[in-house]
Amino acid sequence: MILRTFIAAAAALTSALAAAGPVLAHHSVAGVFDTSETRTWKGTITKIDWINPHTYIHLAVENDDGTVTEWEMESIPPAMMRKAGITRKMIQGEEGEVIEIEGLRARDGTENLAYILTITYADGHFYQLSTN
Amino acid sequence: MTNRLFASAGLAALLTAGAAMAQERPDLSGTWDNGGGIGFLNPQNLEGQSICVTGCPQPAAAASGGGGARPAPSLPVYKAEYQERVADLTERQVDEDPVLRCLPPGLPRLGPPDKIVQAEDEFVFLYEDVSGPFFRMVPLNAEHREDIDPSYHGDSIGWWEGDTLMVETVSMTDDTWLTDNGAFHTENLRVVEELSLTDDGALQWVATAYDPEVLEQPWRLNPRVSPHADWEIVESPPCIDRSLDHMVDDSYHANPR
Repeated sequence: MILRTFIAAAAALTSALAAAGPVLAHHSVAGVFDTSETRTWKGTITKIDWINPHTYIHLAVENDDGTVTEWEMESIPPAMMRKAGITRKMIQGEEGEVIEIEGLRARDGTENLAYILTITYADGHFYQLSTN
Repeated sequence: MTNRLFASAGLAALLTAGAAMAQERPDLSGTWDNGGGIGFLNPQNLEGQSICVTGCPQPAAAASGGGGARPAPSLPVYKAEYQERVADLTERQVDEDPVLRCLPPGLPRLGPPDKIVQAEDEFVFLYEDVSGPFFRMVPLNAEHREDIDPSYHGDSIGWWEGDTLMVETVSMTDDTWLTDNGAFHTENLRVVEELSLTDDGALQWVATAYDPEVLEQPWRLNPRVSPHADWEIVESPPCIDRSLDHMVDDSYHANPR
């Protein structure tokens, strides 16, 4: 089942990027992130790196013991966001807003690194940025 | 005397008409939707301000693609003695591809311009690329410069052949690839681009790469057609890769054009 999910995810990512032009990097997302398991985090955005070839959201997540861990969460390039009508300000949401991110953890064991699939905001609206 | 005046007036009229005809070139200026490398995206606005970027259920019409839609892929054919090198670079492209390290794509990998500024004696090509914001100056009916060093996107000159703008580029470093899959080239690479308007006013771009030292034959890319865009290009955010250090394998996906 896990293998099938992995293959399906790899195929989806491949087909999504297959028609991409010269500007897109073409290493596999599945080569960095574990597509066999989807995780969910809740927290507040502390910083956004609006850079190529991937944007990054820094999410402060409160742990069970009350400590806070900052996660670095990779996403699609700025131009893809722009083509979809999503701005940096829209990603940021309201100040202090608790958002939920569904994503994938890094395969290489790096702590607190993940890939974003969907961001959901407090009022329920969401941005589906990638799929698994 | 009357005849001489008449002939003189006729000659002037002909010259004026000729000059006018010489200036009646297609207007290639404007912003063109070449897909920006993401022509396959058909994002959807959902209820409640939600947006789906990838993996969205697509209506049949949208799935056919807009700007940047591509025909079957085309790849350069190398001489037999270089095919092993290309195969090796292909296998290790996650480690070797300069674009993955945010270097400029070079030509023809850069693709058609995102914006064209057209003047009587020169063109300016502008690009909003993941690797950076690039520009190319294309003087018309000029000679190639000999006072500049090789660069990623070289030295370009242009001229009109009928209604087609021809652009020849030389003096490129060998740090770039022609396309994905280990398509290396030498510093003797010469690229000729043909830009014209289709009947419905879209920009058609075709490029041919000449590198006889390593290519079995000139590589002519598939034509790409870009409709006029209703947006303005913006400055590309800086390209700073953070992914490659976290790759646990060399998996990659096809990226044909």
